[in-house]
Amino acid sequence: MRTPWLRTAALGTTAALALALGTAAPASAFEPVEIVHTERVQVGPYPMTVGFSEWPMRAMHSLDVTFMPEGGTAGRSGQVELLLDSAESEVEPLVRHPRKQEVWGLDVYALDDPGAWTFKFTLDGPEGRGEGAIQAVNVLEQPGPPLALSWSLSVVPVAMGVLFLVVAWRRMRPGDQVGTVLAT
Amino acid sequence: MDQLSRARTTTAEDAPARGGPSGGVGVVAILTGTMLSLFGMSWDIQWHEDVGPDTFFTLPHLFIYAGSAVAGIASLVMVLRVTAATKAGRPVDPAAGGTAVGVFGKTFAAPVGYLVTGTAAAVFLFSGLWDQVWHSTYGFDATIASPPHVALLVSVAFTMMGVVVTCAAAARTTWGRRGFQLSLAMLAFYVVVPLKSLDVFEGGPVNAVQVGVAFTTATALVTSAYFLRDVREFVVVGLVCVALQATLWLFSPWASEVYADSVGLPLRDIVSPSPDVPSALPLTLLPIVVGLAVLVAASRSRGWSPTGVAPLGGAGVGLVVALTMPFQLAAVGQEPPQALGTTLLTAVAGVAIGALGGFVGVRFATMLRTLESSAPLTAGGR
Repeated sequence: MRTPWLRTAALGTTAALALALGTAAPASAFEPVEIVHTERVQVGPYPMTVGFSEWPMRAMHSLDVTFMPEGGTAGRSGQVELLLDSAESEVEPLVRHPRKQEVWGLDVYALDDPGAWTFKFTLDGPEGRGEGAIQAVNVLEQPGPPLALSWSLSVVPVAMGVLFLVVAWRRMRPGDQVGTVLAT
Repeated sequence: MDQLSRARTTTAEDAPARGGPSGGVGVVAILTGTMLSLFGMSWDIQWHEDVGPDTFFTLPHLFIYAGSAVAGIASLVMVLRVTAATKAGRPVDPAAGGTAVGVFGKTFAAPVGYLVTGTAAAVFLFSGLWDQVWHSTYGFDATIASPPHVALLVSVAFTMMGVVVTCAAAARTTWGRRGFQLSLAMLAFYVVVPLKSLDVFEGGPVNAVQVGVAFTTATALVTSAYFLRDVREFVVVGLVCVALQATLWLFSPWASEVYADSVGLPLRDIVSPSPDVPSALPLTLLPIVVGLAVLVAASRSRGWSPTGVAPLGGAGVGLVVALTMPFQLAAVGQEPPQALGTTLLTAVAGVAIGALGGFVGVRFATMLRTLESSAPLTAGGR
């Protein structure tokens, strides 16, 4: 009796894993960065092109942003500060984009709130330090259903777990048995 | 769910001879599954930190999916085996996942441990679909605090909790206790991942993530300290945690780099200064465990009430976690130094939430002991 059950379980598990791994290869190609919109910005002495993989930008929707200084990134460094009405600020170093190594970039990046964002750049290079900004990058409202609805769906596993613990607690009443049960 | 009466009580002699479901193989399967989940999760987070690009089928993702798949399928098989044995009037060993409860009337007889593990694994599957819907709306993301990610992470935590219950039911056997030690250490370790989502409360008066870690660590440690009869076996839980932490500390960045090489991707210009998930577990865990073991041993020998001592022990755990974590995370470069005021307020919260963890933990230990007490010894016993 035991052997067929175990064999079935083992075969089922192996088949599931084989299916997952077998389909993994064609699906595992990392998507290239496709720029659909660009902006030009003068950062001190350095002209730079900023590329966006989604346009217009929407809150919470991830995209790739690339930064391409004229003459390349070699020998240069810097940072970008993303500001929303002076109330929200995120600073990111300018580093190579993982899927587009010839330029700097932010990968699968999302801004959480809609509004007119400012991209403020600081660059250091052979011609000294430069600063510049793209003003009023309009980020639209988030797509999809209201966030509260999305979170309420995600509370289901928590609620199921808590419900299980509450039911088990009420049935077993552990507080009444601590002394006797743990004495054994 | 209705409590099922057992058709027959298994004895050491007849369980293997009659071929009734026994627990060892099932426990190995669900432990393997949750181990895959733990390693996959740590690897995946490290991958995003050090390399970046994402698809649905990255290798660390496959570890995570395979982990829940293995745990879920093994649970389903065990439930079907116990159901078949119950309906045929064959003996059912309660050590195989704990007392069976009726599901869908009495259509299925599900050992409670496997019921929790299997249900949580099924919820993981639906959460995965929910994650796909999310990604189709918002694109790929590499954040922990998205709604479907929290659902996925919590369902894995409950899968691990089911493994703890399953092993606890078999704790009269050596393999059951070893499984309990490993599964509890994995759970205590793993929950730091979903707790990272509490950083959405960053900037508040206390560090919410550390308050959460204080609670889960205190609950897990007090539960195991009181559940295991021998405090030396509880100290082993601390050693297993340290071993897991050390292993993942080495494994996660190494696996990320090797995998990146294999698919022709470079590391980021700025990589994580230390392994992300392993560094989120208190490095002080072993001293904490030893301290709690001494307290529990002393209280047992002096006859102090567990209901009084457990919250005290939990408060101590919470205090040490809340006080040391900011320094640990600053030392390993994960976070900037935390303001002293925030640390002190977090320590106060850590004491309170740790005491609550102790209060809950000693009662969880009682519930698990009750489950274990219903399981007679089997041939694979002590």
